[in-house]
Amino acid sequence: MSSPTATTVAVGEPVAAAAPPRRPRRQRGGRGVKRSGLAPLLLLSPAGLVIIALTIVPIGYLIWMSFTDAGQRMLFTGEYDVVGLQQYRDILTDPSFWKSFARTVGFTAAMVGGSVLLGMGVAQLIGKVGRVMRLALTFVLICAWAMPNVASSMVWGWLFQPGYGVGNWLLTQTHLFGDVTDTNWADRPGLAFVCIWMLIVWQAVPFVALTLHAAQSQVDPAYYEAARMDGASEWRVYWTITVHFLRPTLLLVTILSIIWDFNVFNQIWLISKGGPDGATSTLGVYAYRNAFVSFHFGVGSAIAVVTTLLLLGLTAFYVRSLVRTGEEL
Amino acid sequence: MGRRHHEFPGATAPGPTRAPRENTQGDTLRKTRTLVAGALGIATAVALTACGSGSSSDASDSGKSNDLSAVKGAGKTITVWNMQGDLSDDTMKAINDEFTKETGAQVKVQTQQWADIATKVTTALATDGTPDVVELGNTDVPLFANSGGLADLTDAKSQLQQGGTWLDGLAGPATVDGKLYGVPAFAATRTVIYNKSMWDQAGITAAPTTYDELTADLDKVKAKFGSQKDFSPFYLPGRYWYDGLQWVWDAGGDIATKDGDTWKGGLESSEAQQGLNDFKTFQNAYSTKASATINTTGTGQPDQDKDIFAAGKTSAVVGNAWEIGVIEQDNPKITDADLGTFPFPGKSGKAQPVMLAGSDWGVAAKSKNQDLAEVWVKIAASEAMQTGPIAKQGWIPVTTEEIGTVKGTADALHQAYFDAAMNSKSTPAAANWATIEGDGAVEQFFADVASGAKSPADAAKGFDDHLNQVLNNNG
Amino acid sequence: MSRTRAARAPHANRVNRAPRPTSGRIVANTLAVLFCLVWIFPVYWMVNTAFKPPYDVTTPTPQFLPRHFTLTNFKAAITQSHFLGDLRNSLIVVSGTLVVAIALGIFAAAALSRFRFRGRRAILVVILAVQMLPSAALLIPMFLVFNKMGLLDHYLGLVLAYVAAVLPFSIWVMRGFFLALPYELEEAAMVDGASTANILFRILFPLVAPGVIATSIFAFVYAWNDYLIAYTFMKDQSMYTLPVWLASFSTPATGTNYGGQMAASVLFSLPVVIFFLAIQRNLVAGLSSGAVKG
Repeated sequence: MSSPTATTVAVGEPVAAAAPPRRPRRQRGGRGVKRSGLAPLLLLSPAGLVIIALTIVPIGYLIWMSFTDAGQRMLFTGEYDVVGLQQYRDILTDPSFWKSFARTVGFTAAMVGGSVLLGMGVAQLIGKVGRVMRLALTFVLICAWAMPNVASSMVWGWLFQPGYGVGNWLLTQTHLFGDVTDTNWADRPGLAFVCIWMLIVWQAVPFVALTLHAAQSQVDPAYYEAARMDGASEWRVYWTITVHFLRPTLLLVTILSIIWDFNVFNQIWLISKGGPDGATSTLGVYAYRNAFVSFHFGVGSAIAVVTTLLLLGLTAFYVRSLVRTGEEL
Repeated sequence: MGRRHHEFPGATAPGPTRAPRENTQGDTLRKTRTLVAGALGIATAVALTACGSGSSSDASDSGKSNDLSAVKGAGKTITVWNMQGDLSDDTMKAINDEFTKETGAQVKVQTQQWADIATKVTTALATDGTPDVVELGNTDVPLFANSGGLADLTDAKSQLQQGGTWLDGLAGPATVDGKLYGVPAFAATRTVIYNKSMWDQAGITAAPTTYDELTADLDKVKAKFGSQKDFSPFYLPGRYWYDGLQWVWDAGGDIATKDGDTWKGGLESSEAQQGLNDFKTFQNAYSTKASATINTTGTGQPDQDKDIFAAGKTSAVVGNAWEIGVIEQDNPKITDADLGTFPFPGKSGKAQPVMLAGSDWGVAAKSKNQDLAEVWVKIAASEAMQTGPIAKQGWIPVTTEEIGTVKGTADALHQAYFDAAMNSKSTPAAANWATIEGDGAVEQFFADVASGAKSPADAAKGFDDHLNQVLNNNG
Repeated sequence: MSRTRAARAPHANRVNRAPRPTSGRIVANTLAVLFCLVWIFPVYWMVNTAFKPPYDVTTPTPQFLPRHFTLTNFKAAITQSHFLGDLRNSLIVVSGTLVVAIALGIFAAAALSRFRFRGRRAILVVILAVQMLPSAALLIPMFLVFNKMGLLDHYLGLVLAYVAAVLPFSIWVMRGFFLALPYELEEAAMVDGASTANILFRILFPLVAPGVIATSIFAFVYAWNDYLIAYTFMKDQSMYTLPVWLASFSTPATGTNYGGQMAASVLFSLPVVIFFLAIQRNLVAGLSSGAVKG
């Protein structure tokens, strides 16, 4: 049934193995409709205009504000002072900034790992289960996605509040952890983080799973059939075919998750306000505490610039491979 | 893309001259210039570099006259922002009708939501289409006053005050460096609400008037109902800082005091420490363990004292007057006859001073109808409105004289609220106070004290440091 | 991994796995049920609470079904001020956002995936990098720019704000879908002498439909849920969108009306669910057409 050659190729280059009509892809230098001309410019310019006018210009504004003490006074009266690099110096020499940064990196890794792995699993489940279950899964995912933030954070507060928390009650019923009805999750460093992690992963998985599922369903079933005919195990099929095809989407979802989770603020603020004693104080919380409650836009902008540069540095490797993955295909 | 920019000089136009810098650390060597002049250096297609076509409202522009009673505005319309859930449509209509009668001008009322209101007001006060009058929570006034967003109302103060004595808790935060930036709109206070029926069953016939009577009564209630699961004689969440402060004030302490130009956190003082220890002892003795680290409200913590009270899980709470209505609505079996109120008797022998909640009216510095706006505010603060529709809604009027008038006609259940208003305090009138509330530090402080996560001394040291740093930060 | 070792593994398992792993199906179904239970729980709790009277909302022993079923919360939610006006504004702004974001996004994504030109990588990196800025920091600069351009208090302004927010993301995601299409498609068409426009509109755009749909869900959810931009960029309350109505259930003077808030949240979620269910068919159709087979 399975020819050795087919199997061998399937491992290294599943695309070629399963799609006989397709020629090897790497040989050509130029790919795409046309190499040059006005077409790409025409296609890009509407989006480019919007992004330049409404995103890039405000970013320029923001960078410039980071060198000033702009605050409400600047908005109301137009007055401000240029303070040069002062705010950057203050931030970079503030030990609590670096502590927040380290915390943010750890939190981000945990949250991204959780949401991407679970999302991959769920995307895979959607493809594996029957029609009814598939509908149920998509329905659940979209319900979780559709639930407005104000409701989900409120319900989360409910689930884990001391005294009346439904989650605490359920956990107590399991008799695994003793009586936890009076536990205030937000008031214990570890639990506060677990609580935040659950909320964020809960909110993130629908996007990850549905996006991966959409990408996954674009894979030509012939590849799977061929591989299965070769007797490849489901795991093998998953890793060699699905993951191979998903790689660009996976990379994309991962990097977007990193960006979002790195800057996450609302959920942390609603659950723990960065407490107890700063245990969940990430960069988002740091920025909010130091700039946005009191409308110190200058300081806020400087923090945003530093944060963004750090994030760019951390993700440089991913960004590079993301861009390159795109180029190769 | 930039074709419309000259019509919208907006936020970056040179500011009004009538709101000079309040920076107490005024470093005269630093250059101050308008945002527009220095704009960015990114001469992009967009209109950032547009020259501000000075559409700001100078004092001279708005043609201010000194006599508010002579202001006419036929054909004009002013915009008033009120907050969701505060003054009712009927109350607003009463004020507006009177305003139209006096000036001939119309009023457009816009009701705003509480979430992100400070951001909303900040952006709105920055543009030309600013509202003329905005309602601000009393402790938020300094945030906008100090930065030039609100008009200085000092000149009109005596006309606005109309002979009354404003409650300090409202007028205090509205007065920054001796200048008036807000006019009291209405007040609210908290007192103890207790379940008279339950206390009757525990053998208590009269409301306590001393601290010792109170604790003795609560001990009886505890003996009677304490065996019920989740029952607490006096539900007092640790994060409920409005209440925690009452203990500090009662013991003679304060959050922060101003010495010259410098704010100094006051929670390490022996008086404040005494109050904090008493708060902790009381909280731990009479409230649930679960309540030590939560507040009565808040998005993350939907655990509200009124719900617990309505469910019969506690016999007393410290609450606003409106909570009485909500309790009765939540549990129709509880009626006025089952409820009682009394001022919290302090250890000092007097009733604990309470935190005064409420709102002030501010007039936008960029308003083009400042005179009309002041007239509107004057009417809203007038005795007719305060003792009429505003009091009828259950709010406390803003002058001591009006409180006397209204108290005489109020029912027994609400008497304690008027007494509390006469014995009220508020947070420091520091520009950056909003930060202390906004960053959650003050809640965390009281929660740490109540839960024992930190000793009152340790907690106070950390909090005082934070106060000193934030309140004195003029950047 | 070594090819030979990897190649051997399937053979060892072949007998057990062939032809369709029914045991795997059972495991998958069980996992799916478990996942559904956990993930739906908060949603279920929202719905559950929406039908409860206030005194049943917080109870020491949770009520998993409303003991005193009531519809008053929904009545209160609908009669809460400005519901219909805000709903109308939301529908206008969200549909505007979808149309503009998809149109601009699909063009840009096509340019960045099917054409080679100088500066392409730089553009890609910029598009990614702009998303790294914390949105809270960008609010005030955006507000000032929109103010300058006279875009405040207009539907168009809000639409453009949302488009600007979702566009970088949309371009990235749609580009991924373009990249997944085999180049043979265009090559064959080019051999047949089709114009660039023809190739784009007749061949490529229809094929990325699933990607467009996946992206549109994101854009829809973003625009539908945004509160802060809608609240600050719209000055007149008649221009507010539904999230502002959703925020009106919580005030210091009346506390939070949990039942009302949850009922409103249920109503608020419904259009998103409906939207998804509506495009779900297209998604399936787009996929089952098998057009991607090339």
